[in-house]
Amino acid sequence: MELLDRYLQAVKKHLPWERQDDIIAELRANLEAQLEDKEAEFDRPLTKEEAEDWLKQLGSPLQVAARYQRQQYLIGPAIFPTYSYILKLVLAWATAIYVIASVITIAAQGLGVEALVGISLVHVALRLPWIWLINAAIVTMIFAAVERTGARFPEKLRAFGPMAGPMIGPMTPPWSSMDLPPVGAADGDWAKSRSFTRALLGVFFGCLFLAWLLLVPHYPFLIFGPGAWHLKALPYKFAPVWSTVYWCVVCVNVFDLAWKIMNLARGAWQRPPNRALSLAMHALSLIPLGILLDAPEHKLFLLKNPADAATLGGALAAANKGTLQVLAIVVAIVVLQLGWGIVRVSLDAYRKRVAAR
Amino acid sequence: MTLTENLFENLRMELRRGCLTLAVLAQLKQEHYGYTLRKALAERGMEIDESTLYPLLRRLEAQGLLTSEWREEEKRNKRFYRLSSDGELIFARLLDEWNAINTSITNLL
Repeated sequence: MELLDRYLQAVKKHLPWERQDDIIAELRANLEAQLEDKEAEFDRPLTKEEAEDWLKQLGSPLQVAARYQRQQYLIGPAIFPTYSYILKLVLAWATAIYVIASVITIAAQGLGVEALVGISLVHVALRLPWIWLINAAIVTMIFAAVERTGARFPEKLRAFGPMAGPMIGPMTPPWSSMDLPPVGAADGDWAKSRSFTRALLGVFFGCLFLAWLLLVPHYPFLIFGPGAWHLKALPYKFAPVWSTVYWCVVCVNVFDLAWKIMNLARGAWQRPPNRALSLAMHALSLIPLGILLDAPEHKLFLLKNPADAATLGGALAAANKGTLQVLAIVVAIVVLQLGWGIVRVSLDAYRKRVAAR
Repeated sequence: MTLTENLFENLRMELRRGCLTLAVLAQLKQEHYGYTLRKALAERGMEIDESTLYPLLRRLEAQGLLTSEWREEEKRNKRFYRLSSDGELIFARLLDEWNAINTSITNLL
């Protein structure tokens, strides 16, 4: 039957190539047997319309072929929660890094605060969706690859432990009921225990971030993107105070990472995050900001060639002034957050004291 | 299709999915090829679309629950399936599970 041949040919086109012939041979045998039964029932060959209706009932060739695909989804339910978590994390970091890098780039161009609320800010905002799209695409591709690997070689993903757990069976990290955090409804998110995956990912991304941070001085494009080459051509350079700030930031991150690794090593990852430590880290972030605000002569950017002072001095002064104003706003926000954190900790401590009486 | 009908259809499909596997395993204690299996299931009230049944047979075989062989019958090459030894064990356990669920549901109703 020519129509059936055409139908099977269309199905074959969408089948996995290594199993095409086998599947089509089986499908043909089944459908031909079905056709024979139908013709025996009618005691005549099917008309063209009847044959078309019959094939229509079977479904479109694409639908039929899709049922034979091993992989039915890009990212399966087993790793989707991890994917969703990482995606949010990456998008948040990408946004923060991009905004900071853009502000610095604008400031380095000597456009000042006025430009931030003008064309430059609009330009930055318009490019942001592309940054999200690119980062989301990269994360999705990585997870799709993990999904495919997991589907083909589940045993290889055992090393991923809990992340691959639901995909390869009920694997859960060893735990003891003694490790469970105390019930504290009033503590909200702070009382929630973290999963092993989350703690492990915290260390993983901490390492990744630290590596990125250490590579930035050698490869400025990692922070400025294509703007790094543009910056090279500019007549301005960063003042030495940035170097002090940089190492300060590195130290804070090394400390944070060491703490996370220690927690993981001693099995304390299930405990809720330490509020005091979080506040201390928050306070530490004020140090680099303070160093920048206290830069010698309030100069954050310098001229590569001092002889250009006559022509570029005005723009440089505006860039320094604008950046310092932005920094002052950032410091004010951080101080307010810190203050709010301290108030919350104090209030909770007070409530607990009152409840204990 | 209204929202309620759509919801019902989704739940019905979910309910049927596991039952289809059990029905196929039950029927493949005897050897069948795709089309006769479909007919045998339909005769016992378990209608399954071709596009669902044939790929399901492949999946169950890939999971080691079925074995298959190509053989000529009525001048046509056909792929015959039957339960493997692993399949028999799994089927027995699934049947126990099915009976336990059935009893529980009956008690609940």
